[in-house]
Amino acid sequence: MTRVLIADDSETILLLLRTRLEMEGYEVLTAADGVEVLEAIGGADPAPDILLLDAMMPRKSGIDALRELRAQGLETPILIVSAHQDQMDAGAASDVEVSGYVTKPIDFDDLFARIAELTGS
Amino acid sequence: MPSVVPVASSPIAGQAYSRRRFRLSPSVANRLTIGFAIAFAVLTGLAVIGVARFLQQRQDFEDATARSYQVEIAARNRIAAGIHPVASRVIVVKQKAERQHLHDEIEGKTRDTALLVGAGLIAALTGAALLFTGLIATMRRPLEELVDASGRLAGGDLEARVKVGGLSETAALGEAFNEMAGELQRRAGERDQLETMKDEFVLTASHELRSPLTSVQGFAELLMLEREKLSDKQAETVEVILDNTRHLVRLLNDLLDLARSDAGRLTIKPAPTEVGSLVEDAVRTMRSQTEGRDQSLVQRVEPGLPEVSVDRDRIRQVLVNLLTNAHEYSPAGASIAVTATRNGAGVELAVRDDGPGMPADQLEHIFDRFTRGDAGLTQHVGGTGLGLAISKSLVELHGGTIGAESTLGQGSTFRVWLPAAGADGPQQEAT
Repeated sequence: MTRVLIADDSETILLLLRTRLEMEGYEVLTAADGVEVLEAIGGADPAPDILLLDAMMPRKSGIDALRELRAQGLETPILIVSAHQDQMDAGAASDVEVSGYVTKPIDFDDLFARIAELTGS
Repeated sequence: MPSVVPVASSPIAGQAYSRRRFRLSPSVANRLTIGFAIAFAVLTGLAVIGVARFLQQRQDFEDATARSYQVEIAARNRIAAGIHPVASRVIVVKQKAERQHLHDEIEGKTRDTALLVGAGLIAALTGAALLFTGLIATMRRPLEELVDASGRLAGGDLEARVKVGGLSETAALGEAFNEMAGELQRRAGERDQLETMKDEFVLTASHELRSPLTSVQGFAELLMLEREKLSDKQAETVEVILDNTRHLVRLLNDLLDLARSDAGRLTIKPAPTEVGSLVEDAVRTMRSQTEGRDQSLVQRVEPGLPEVSVDRDRIRQVLVNLLTNAHEYSPAGASIAVTATRNGAGVELAVRDDGPGMPADQLEHIFDRFTRGDAGLTQHVGGTGLGLAISKSLVELHGGTIGAESTLGQGSTFRVWLPAAGADGPQQEAT
């Protein structure tokens, strides 16, 4: 089963993502910020197949977590969820390898299609 | 949130600058004026005294001459009468010599007085001329500078200041001007700062509103996924929630675009784009909506059109916006047409409808923010009132033009002109 790690500081968004993803048949791991993402990646067995990180989170943002994970050599696809174009522009301007951006409000059909494509499921 | 701080106090800097270059302080100019006035008074006094003394000398001369003649006549009478003829002849000769001497003396005095008065007059006139040219010169430079600075200020150069100098009057005028210019600059700075704060606010607010909206829309969609478990009434209610959420999202996107545009952050990534597929794309997006109200939607693309240099998504957004307006403001069964034709060094896209049209006073403000069609119509129209303002920003960002024409009762036409790929810029106005 494809494992998706989702990170967002909003509990309702996490609940929404978890519900929709589980309905699609994904196994879901959650994190409330970038620090929890790094912990989850370290302890998860088996490792998640794809990460869905909110760009802005307290303690450690999705962008920072992405940067650290790539620095550690993690090659798992990572999607960044951002509120608007400006954040995406800022993210795209950085040299970190990102698999794509998802804007809020989330178009779930589009999201599922991209997850399926990136994980080959 | 940063408090509003006036921008650099350049009026003060301007004054410091002017004092360094200063030549004549107002008090010096006043002292000079007083000095000149005293000099005039002394010279005039001297001239009056001189002329009065001369008149007295002239009178004395005439009296002495008259006395000399009387003495001579008396002597001549004595000669005729044969009384002391020799002595009397001596007197006659002496009196002649005396009168000659008096005459020579008064001539010398007349010459001296004329010279003195003439010299005094010349000195006074020269002094007056010098004073006036000095006065004019000290006034002219500051006045010319004031005229020049006023022109620059009116032209938008808020840094325009004058050097405060010259007579106290022009110095006061200069100070008043600098104070006014400083105040104008301070206010412009405050306004710019408020504009920036407003842009930041809209950007932040639209970002912060997105997360709760994502939840509302997401959970409403979740409910609709289990449509079969809901009653018709419940499903209808969820549809209302979804409709309004989508409207809010559209409003947020529009506000964000406008804030970006105001902040100069609205960017486009133009690439050579085929016009036909662009129009096709926008028409396809609108098809289900126009069919839903039995409106006909046709497209006519002139063959052999050049490619346009545009950000495909953004121009598609403009076209969809124009088509949405045509669709929403026109009644059921209306005809809507999109045409693409060659126009000058570019392509003109026109969206035409046979809807209710607009009166001229409304047409005039149609590209302003939050301007919407007639209030009676807007009740069933879902737009944000920002679409055309954004469309205008986007088209202009592409170096194009946008315009509208309308006849009340006959419909409206919106025209967008875009430069062909490789063209330098707008060479043909959209009419």
